[in-house]
Amino acid sequence: MTELLIEQIINGIVAGSVYALVAAGMTMIFGVLRAINFAHGEYYMLGTFSAWYVITKLGVSYPVAIILAVIITMGIAAVIGRLVMQGLVTAPFQSGVLATLGLSLILQNLIIITFGGTYKIFPGGWLEPVFFGDISLAWQRIIIVLVTIGVFVALEFLVQRTRMGKAMRAVSQNTACCLVNGIDIERVVLGTFVLGGGLAALSGVLTGPINVTVYGGMGEAITLKTFAVIVMGGMGNVRGTLIAGWILGIAESFVAGFIGLQYRDAVGFVILIGMLMVRPTGFFSVQSRF
Amino acid sequence: MTINSTSLQATGAHVTSRATSRLMGVAILIALLGAPLVLDNYYLHAVIISMIFLLPAHGLNLIVGYMGMLSLAQGAFFGIGSYVSALAAMHFGTPFYVNFILAGLVTGLIALPLGIPALRLRTYSFVMCTLGLVVIGEAVAKNWVGLTRGDMGLSGVPQPVLGFGAHPFTVTTITGYYYLYLVIAVLMTGLFYALVSSPAGRSMIAIRDNEIQAEALGIPTWNYKLVVFTISAAFAGFGGSLYAHYLTTVSPLTFQMFYSTTILIIVLGGGAGSIRGVVVGSIVFVAVSEALRISPEYRMVMYGLMLLLLVFWLPNGLTPLIDRGLAMLSGARK
Repeated sequence: MTELLIEQIINGIVAGSVYALVAAGMTMIFGVLRAINFAHGEYYMLGTFSAWYVITKLGVSYPVAIILAVIITMGIAAVIGRLVMQGLVTAPFQSGVLATLGLSLILQNLIIITFGGTYKIFPGGWLEPVFFGDISLAWQRIIIVLVTIGVFVALEFLVQRTRMGKAMRAVSQNTACCLVNGIDIERVVLGTFVLGGGLAALSGVLTGPINVTVYGGMGEAITLKTFAVIVMGGMGNVRGTLIAGWILGIAESFVAGFIGLQYRDAVGFVILIGMLMVRPTGFFSVQSRF
Repeated sequence: MTINSTSLQATGAHVTSRATSRLMGVAILIALLGAPLVLDNYYLHAVIISMIFLLPAHGLNLIVGYMGMLSLAQGAFFGIGSYVSALAAMHFGTPFYVNFILAGLVTGLIALPLGIPALRLRTYSFVMCTLGLVVIGEAVAKNWVGLTRGDMGLSGVPQPVLGFGAHPFTVTTITGYYYLYLVIAVLMTGLFYALVSSPAGRSMIAIRDNEIQAEALGIPTWNYKLVVFTISAAFAGFGGSLYAHYLTTVSPLTFQMFYSTTILIIVLGGGAGSIRGVVVGSIVFVAVSEALRISPEYRMVMYGLMLLLLVFWLPNGLTPLIDRGLAMLSGARK
């Protein structure tokens, strides 16, 4: 029983790390743009697809594919950021919802049109198990957790210590003062958006070997779960996002393990609605802090 | 929060003269009545689908155009309505109009308790919460196997039986469906018009434009929001009923984002806050893409581009274009 429990918790932390990586980008974009990015999961999908493409069609190895996938996705995000997201800086919230919803439809269906709607098998990854006592764990899962922790430490450094991070915090606090102080809001928005897209792509490539299947609609489910994570973590709060991701992951794996697999995907939304009702600022937020 | 300070402004003002609008309305009605004489079954099917989507679109229009909130839950209520209607018809063998009314009522009753927590939220939170209702609705439809038969869905939903006394009559042909659904669509549009042009409709617009001021004027804003949410869900339920009896199958697929998105596009693309905008929207975005046999993927790309177009260039949807067209026509008539 305890082994099962530990296994559920570990699975939850792995899944939660994936959510946290995606959610980190979304929460930062919310911070600077005050817009919920309904298309954020699509960058996760684009990352997985790019990796699948370069591995199966160009024959590169998995580590190279990780780098290529992140670069390709960041390139796409840069174009979209330039054309669409920068235009949302002064727009009201409905515009943000509708524009990103539109982007999500376009990206998702263009991929389905280009590569077909069938499920594809993700090649590569490090799936050899490691044993800790009686519990076996694939290398890939360990790597996901370690990379996630590394990314969050780096993000914390970026947000707290660098000029870029300072600018991001400034934009999320007061845009008018940014203009007065010569902070280029559009550049900060673009930078944050591309970074967020890259993180989502990284998350996608890293989970590819575990999820195995690759298909056009895979981003949508992630987007929906990410909402629960960013609300729990507190919108715009990077540190809280990691803990919130793990909470969601563990909650999901408990529900899947003890109640029924089919209820797993509804967990996020039950948590989301509950959080919005009871504590809309999230578990950790003093305010929507960066 | 209010939508009127935004770029997605509802267009309430009637630019064209009333006579021209009325003339256009009559012309469209005559065209619709005569359509089966000219169009073959495939095009009639396209129009039927757009009339089905018109009802949930009216419901969403009430929320977006008259209350100034953005909801994605309409697809969920559409799905609930289709299940209610199908289950009633299959288990109790009730005639069509009973199923239809039941679908609207039950969906409204389900929406009421959901609206109480949801409507306390604003802007992003409300949008995310309504999206959550769709996901949870899908989970219920998939997992309550005893009632919904899960992923298999319900097949063999009876075709509409119009029982009048001792001579029940079953609608089976496309033309039959067309006229039945046309009558319902016209009636429901009339009902919607009566609702929004009543004092209640004006109160809704007041809440949309300035909620605090509306409250200060003595309009019970909370009650209005709740009632509007319920009515809009009921409209979606009516639409779901039509859908179930037309396709004769119901499945959890109805809870996919495709439906919520389509309904959203009809309302915003047509022009939120405008009845003729929504009618035109349902024809342009559903009937035309159905008739041109555009595959769902291309259609979704088109919808996506349309959303971007709406945000950046066409904040009021197609309604201003229609009005300009009508103004030109009335100018030509003189």
